[in-house]
Amino acid sequence: MDSEQPEGKVALVSGNEAAGEAAIRAGCRFYAGYPITPQNELTAYIADQLPLRGGVFIQAESELAAINMVFGASAAGTRAMTSSSSPGISLKQEGISYMVGCELPAVIINVQRAGPGLGNISPAQGDYYQATRGGGHGDYRCISLAPFSVQEVCDLTYLAFDLADAYRTPVILLADGMIGQMMEPVRFDHLPAPSPTPRPWALTGTPGRKRNVIKSLRLPPEELEAFNLKLQDVYATIEQREVRLEVTGPDDAEVLLAAYGTSARICRQIVERPLRQLPFKVALFRPITLWPFPTAKLAELAEKARGILVVEMSAGQMVDDVRMAVAGRCPIELLARMGGNIPSAAEITEKLITLFA
Amino acid sequence: MATTSLKQLCEMPDLLSGGHAACPGCAGPVAIRQILLAAQQDDTYVVASISTGCMEVSTTVYPNSAWRIPLFHSAFENSAATISGAETAYRSLKKQGKIDKKIAFIAFGGDGGTYDIGLQSLSGALERGHNFTYVCYDNEAYMNTGIQRSGSTPKGAFTTTAPAGKVEPGKRQRKKNLTAIVAAHDIPYVAQASPHRARDLMNKVQKAVATEGACFINVLSPCPRGWRYAPDQTFQIAKLAADTCVWPLYEIEDGKLTINYKPREKKPMLDWLKSQGRFRHLFTPQNEHLVEEIQQDVDREWQRLLTLEAMGKETAQ
Repeated sequence: MDSEQPEGKVALVSGNEAAGEAAIRAGCRFYAGYPITPQNELTAYIADQLPLRGGVFIQAESELAAINMVFGASAAGTRAMTSSSSPGISLKQEGISYMVGCELPAVIINVQRAGPGLGNISPAQGDYYQATRGGGHGDYRCISLAPFSVQEVCDLTYLAFDLADAYRTPVILLADGMIGQMMEPVRFDHLPAPSPTPRPWALTGTPGRKRNVIKSLRLPPEELEAFNLKLQDVYATIEQREVRLEVTGPDDAEVLLAAYGTSARICRQIVERPLRQLPFKVALFRPITLWPFPTAKLAELAEKARGILVVEMSAGQMVDDVRMAVAGRCPIELLARMGGNIPSAAEITEKLITLFA
Repeated sequence: MATTSLKQLCEMPDLLSGGHAACPGCAGPVAIRQILLAAQQDDTYVVASISTGCMEVSTTVYPNSAWRIPLFHSAFENSAATISGAETAYRSLKKQGKIDKKIAFIAFGGDGGTYDIGLQSLSGALERGHNFTYVCYDNEAYMNTGIQRSGSTPKGAFTTTAPAGKVEPGKRQRKKNLTAIVAAHDIPYVAQASPHRARDLMNKVQKAVATEGACFINVLSPCPRGWRYAPDQTFQIAKLAADTCVWPLYEIEDGKLTINYKPREKKPMLDWLKSQGRFRHLFTPQNEHLVEEIQQDVDREWQRLLTLEAMGKETAQ
């Protein structure tokens, strides 16, 4: 990914470590975590580094405790983060929903593994629905960012803190075991000094000002609905402003691959360094924000496309968003791998030829 | 309660088979084997649950299982809750006359799954008084995920989330006294044991299984990888834990405490700390005071147990 590398000193680190370093550089000063594979290097990195750089690391007694520590730290006005992997993220959902209800910013990193249940510790993308549809109880969405390289883990983790602040919402970084564990050259020096937005709402002690109240309890239905509508307004703004995506390949591609994260890496190889000559032009549509999903851009590309192949490491979850965006403009096919299997370039090439040649 | 002779035990089939994937020198499978042998007698079958952790991961890699008994794994925080459900169903079936077998229910959990995330479900099951035995195999950190600190990690030990460096001396906090917390639930039987004294451990298991109500046994499980010692030293390390009184072997039967092993000569904590690499950084001038503190903590707990034992004897007279 050399062409995309920013300037500065290069470090060879894993995705998990890159997330830890980027978080600290983004001004994260509170981290609470709990052991779970395949994200342990992130917790260990933070345990080692954050106390040296003016922050606090706490290993919690459970994922529930960790997310609620972040809840408390964020309410106190600190840039705060937690990370885990799929089963642990399930446990955090109650806390995330409460933070939404309290309009509190936080960054939550999910280094996905295969499920359901204990599943295994191999990379997967089965938490797409959970990340993009709210995840916990109640009407809400969280901005979901999907890195596909270690450099992007760094850049998106940094961005996640700014987005969380700007919209006063938890932001999910949806990586997977592959992205978390693999090592790549990464640059950090281009990241600017952090600029947390002012937090007049934070619980910092009341001398000289009116007291702040942070709560998610709204008993009168009118009050709660007004808050729901306020959230919907925020989400409409996010959908307008924060869509991020990348299209790789020729402008006049006849066939589109649609994938994010690890599956997008495999797909990009087919676009840039195909295993064999394809009898049609292929481009890759890669959402970087899974929510808000790049609906408009995909609809535009679908107008000219003969068909789209969605590649996912799940039974097919993002494919729903693709279908809604494309709205019948062209046929949509799915290549789904599960159980921690990563689709191979050969497998995807084969499928493309079968479908579109 | 019938005591099984060593000869009889040798003739009984192992209920945790070889071929599992635990590390060389791991005390966990040894302890589990002893526990199952003691629990499963002529007329009693064992049904177990296990929480996520070293033993679950290394003995149940699908589609294989090293367990020759019905075993239930659900998640990390709920071994005691799962067994509560199974035991309640069993009682109901028995009442309805649909099952006549005698079943001993055992819930296993590591220290992470017991001291930390599983404490709530453990406490609930103890309070409700299900007829089961909870066994914690305590290796004093999250070893399965790469040596992160737990509530059981002792003061001064290095872990990847309680690193030792120029300033930090490893974990700063004391080990949680879980056995005392469990004893405070006033359940009929609570014990601490160690696999190096197999007879003692197995007696305790047989007592627990024969006791009506919730029982608890905390078993020290030395870990060569996490504690940083050679794999062939596991039983010497376990013995040293008893000889230094860092892991006292005792039991509490209906509130009466008995110490099952009193070393003739209580060895100094230095012997314990020097036997394992996880304490290596303590032997510097800046950390010297910690060694002293650790000794004081161990002495205090040992004294507490001696006092409780003496009080029990007094009451009996």
